[in-house]
Amino acid sequence: MVQGSVTPSQVNAGPVKKAILEALTLFLPAIPFALVFGLVVVESGLPALLGWSTSPLMFSGAAQITLVTLLGEGASFAAAATAALIVGARHLFYSITLAPRFQGQPAWFRWLGPYLLIDQVFALTVTLDNRDPDYFRRYYLASGFSFWTFWMSFTALGLFIGPVIPESWGLAFATPVLFLGLLALSVDRWEKVVVAVAAMLITFALADMPNRSGMLVAAFLSILLGLLLERVRR
Amino acid sequence: MTVLLTIAVVGLLGYCMRAVFIVSLAKHAFPPLALRVLEYVAPAVMGALVITMLTGAEGTLVIGVPEVAGLLVAAGVVARTRNVGIGLISAMAVFWILRSVIS
Repeated sequence: MVQGSVTPSQVNAGPVKKAILEALTLFLPAIPFALVFGLVVVESGLPALLGWSTSPLMFSGAAQITLVTLLGEGASFAAAATAALIVGARHLFYSITLAPRFQGQPAWFRWLGPYLLIDQVFALTVTLDNRDPDYFRRYYLASGFSFWTFWMSFTALGLFIGPVIPESWGLAFATPVLFLGLLALSVDRWEKVVVAVAAMLITFALADMPNRSGMLVAAFLSILLGLLLERVRR
Repeated sequence: MTVLLTIAVVGLLGYCMRAVFIVSLAKHAFPPLALRVLEYVAPAVMGALVITMLTGAEGTLVIGVPEVAGLLVAAGVVARTRNVGIGLISAMAVFWILRSVIS
């Protein structure tokens, strides 16, 4: 090899390393959540391995907790499944938002990518530059599989140590803090600030809707508000 | 067995929700209006998620002064530094300090 030349793997080491480091940073505050999930499985009375199987089969923390909790409480299978799907329905927003970035990507990636599409992966990749599909794909896969590995490991660990972590530590607060930070990173115009604040207020106002479905209504209404604001500005 | 089947069905339907637009819109050009709508999805959904995470099962907001201060610090630090890690550390430090002072 000629000294100073750069191989394709060296060119692409950047997004992979960056994605793994950023995934690790984002996963740290999610560790209590993973451990709490272990506690939920233990308290539900389901066999531990069966409860943990929701991690690889669903890979969606909030929906997993919903399903396991309701199954443990004796809800019907249909009711528990419906509630879990409603909790996970925000993924429809993620799918339509990232769809333009998956155009021009290989078919295998369009089928594999959605399996890894969780809140954190969406938050990390939605702000990526769309001009380099190769960079996007490598970053997406590296961050997605990093979260997958962390989540599988820590939800398994949670089955054993979740029940002994003191609630008084308040570690769960790190998760909303993290998402507020990502939100602050994603707003670059005053209309987006208004949309974010409106989504918060409407979600709060609709907090007693069943299965947390108020957040979907809030997201829909605040997106409409954003479009309206654009129209007024023009 | 039925529980495992329920988990598998929910997993499959959950995957379909994530894949539906990514797979079906692979070859279609997006109209300008759709692209404008997409710009607002991230702030709307993340804003809604933050409040959902802070809301108890019975629909009440479970936060006090330490939480509000922590959230304000997080937003302010990230907006200024563009670094989520620094924002997280700052916010948690404020949260823990205020909580220990108040309690």
